[in-house]
Amino acid sequence: MNTPNLYFAAAIGIFLSVLFFVAGYFYFRSRKATPANWEDLFTKLTWIDRNNIAQVALDLVDVNGQPKMDEDAASLEPSQLWNLIGGLDGLEVLERNSEVLIDLAFYVQRWYPEALPIAERLRLDARELKWHVARLRGAAEKGNLQISFPFYAQRAVVKYYVMTRRLLSLYEAANLSTLADLQRAL
Amino acid sequence: MLLTGLDFFFWAAGFVLHLGLLFVLWYRRRARFFPFFAALITLSVIRTIVLYSVHRYGTIFDYRYTYWSLAILDTMLQICVVYEVASRVFRPLDVWAEDVRSSFVWLVSLSLLVAFGLTWLSSAPGRTWMQNVTTKGNLFASSLLSELFVVMMALSINARLPWKTHVAKIAQGLGAFSLISVLVDTGQSYFGISREQPAFLLITHVRMAAYLGCVTYWMINLWPNEQPARMMTHEMRKKMFTLQMQVDYHLKDLRSRKKW
Repeated sequence: MNTPNLYFAAAIGIFLSVLFFVAGYFYFRSRKATPANWEDLFTKLTWIDRNNIAQVALDLVDVNGQPKMDEDAASLEPSQLWNLIGGLDGLEVLERNSEVLIDLAFYVQRWYPEALPIAERLRLDARELKWHVARLRGAAEKGNLQISFPFYAQRAVVKYYVMTRRLLSLYEAANLSTLADLQRAL
Repeated sequence: MLLTGLDFFFWAAGFVLHLGLLFVLWYRRRARFFPFFAALITLSVIRTIVLYSVHRYGTIFDYRYTYWSLAILDTMLQICVVYEVASRVFRPLDVWAEDVRSSFVWLVSLSLLVAFGLTWLSSAPGRTWMQNVTTKGNLFASSLLSELFVVMMALSINARLPWKTHVAKIAQGLGAFSLISVLVDTGQSYFGISREQPAFLLITHVRMAAYLGCVTYWMINLWPNEQPARMMTHEMRKKMFTLQMQVDYHLKDLRSRKKW
């Protein structure tokens, strides 16, 4: 038997503990986050006022999601934006909903592998939305939320709006019977 | 080298199970989707035949040389399987997902550093330099592989990239076996490499039993097909194509604007 190497034993102990902790944490997070069927996924969507979302988004982009170039663009005041979006809490709801939208898109892709490019684009959109919300969280910690909110929040809402339109088009294209429920929710 | 009945049992069981898994991979047409994994299992079958022949007809030196040479090849193929799994998960559109690329590179670098660190700290338990190099090599490979599987799992869940059933099963099996191997390699580093040591024999058999369990797990889980895909009608495909073109256009347009 070799002379016990205490440094090695300690290092292996820490290494395995960290590995098991990280693996366990992400495993349970994924189990919790991904329901197996459409109904469970659907119930994870938090209700938000879609008229407010559309109003904020359409201030910057048109109904097809293309940026507006005319003089009417970006005409909403910061206080209006705050009220329509519901502040940082409202954005956090959008962030959570965007993750459900990705799961809903990947749900379609399970049946129709050809839908993968759209599901992947939705995923990237959601990552951009999260990025905007993260910037706002950082600004809130530094006390700069009021200055940053109108810029980042409105762009986050545009991302969410475009995502919902894409998801609805995807469900429409796939002729899924669940489209009507989704239209009501989004 | 004196081998016990239990050693021969593990040897024979491993051979039969590997043949079974190879049958599943070819008969169920999984091999073309996982070429490195199929190569790894093929190598295991060939290794058993070669090592048995060398053990029976060659010298102890021939056996050791063949064993460690094939072990190096096996480790290299395991790393290729990690790449294969990563490319299935992180390249959904045949290019690396841009949001995970940089995180993946730095986490792989960190994993390499940690594996090097652990290997450097471990004792040299063998009687010869070759035994020491291979024991440390085994520890390096198993710690690196186990880290890589945890990294892949964490990154994919964080980025919400889904795992297809078969990829997940291959990764789970290899990841779990790598974790057990870290424990076994740590034990070997502590107890030394000698067949006279009962502890060495015990942990070697534990590793073999764990691997047999892993091969059985792959056989059972790679046999059934994944979720059956539905074919789109011409009309649906046309709608999907239009939507995809729109999405591509909007994405390029939005990203070209710096203030976005």
